[in-house]
Amino acid sequence: MPAYRRGVSLPHLKAALAAGDTATLIRYVRLHVGDGDEDAGRKEIDKAWVQALTVLMEMPAVDREFVHETLQTKDPATLAHLFFSLHFALVRASGEWIHDGDV
Amino acid sequence: MTGTSERGQLRPGLWQTVNERYPGSMITKDDLVPLAPLSRPLSESRLTFVSTAGVQPKGTLPFDTVHPIGDYTFRRVPSGSRPSDLEIHQLKYPTDGAHRDLNVIFPIERLQELRDEGVVGELAPSFFSFIGYNMDPDLLEHTLAEDLAQAVEDEQAHLALLSPA
Repeated sequence: MPAYRRGVSLPHLKAALAAGDTATLIRYVRLHVGDGDEDAGRKEIDKAWVQALTVLMEMPAVDREFVHETLQTKDPATLAHLFFSLHFALVRASGEWIHDGDV
Repeated sequence: MTGTSERGQLRPGLWQTVNERYPGSMITKDDLVPLAPLSRPLSESRLTFVSTAGVQPKGTLPFDTVHPIGDYTFRRVPSGSRPSDLEIHQLKYPTDGAHRDLNVIFPIERLQELRDEGVVGELAPSFFSFIGYNMDPDLLEHTLAEDLAQAVEDEQAHLALLSPA
């Protein structure tokens, strides 16, 4: 067993990243968004993408200036956080909320 | 929203995933600080409450529940608050019961009653709350825990009631 698998959570993830073990990283994301259930997390990720596609399917007006400016001006950490925030916002908008609490 | 109470209080397989989700998180420390003996009777003591329930005054910045590594801040909850002054932001425990009666997870009214009955001498001006989903043990120990301990000390609490969510 690799040493990082015995470590505590963030060291575990950093060691996985250093080892190029992206499977561990994506599994962690699925567990995070699935409240500890990897299969649920996989469905949640799919659900967010389906919701995003559904909203755009009828070509509603989009504030592209906002999107462009945000992507151009915000730092990578803020954008990464926005990515997670959008995931939960889209899941919430889908009407199927599996989580025990609220953001 | 699917209420957890409809599915039971524990998700199937929850405990099986704990070690996968928090690998190595069954923390064992050899430098544990022993509990300090109470220096005066409870009825003469100032008590504070520290909870991982993610309870916060309405209008304060919600806890960062979406961050994959956690939120290492805490909120002060005035000990004289009413449940209607407070709200919960967290994703990881069932809140159905707490939304009906906050005291089941954050017993602020019960502690106020204990104060009124003289069981506890007084309540510190603030109680404290944070979220328990924190994946960086160093930030947890050296930022959140130390900041929180300092805040408790600043309020000259004689004892702290600790409660996980």
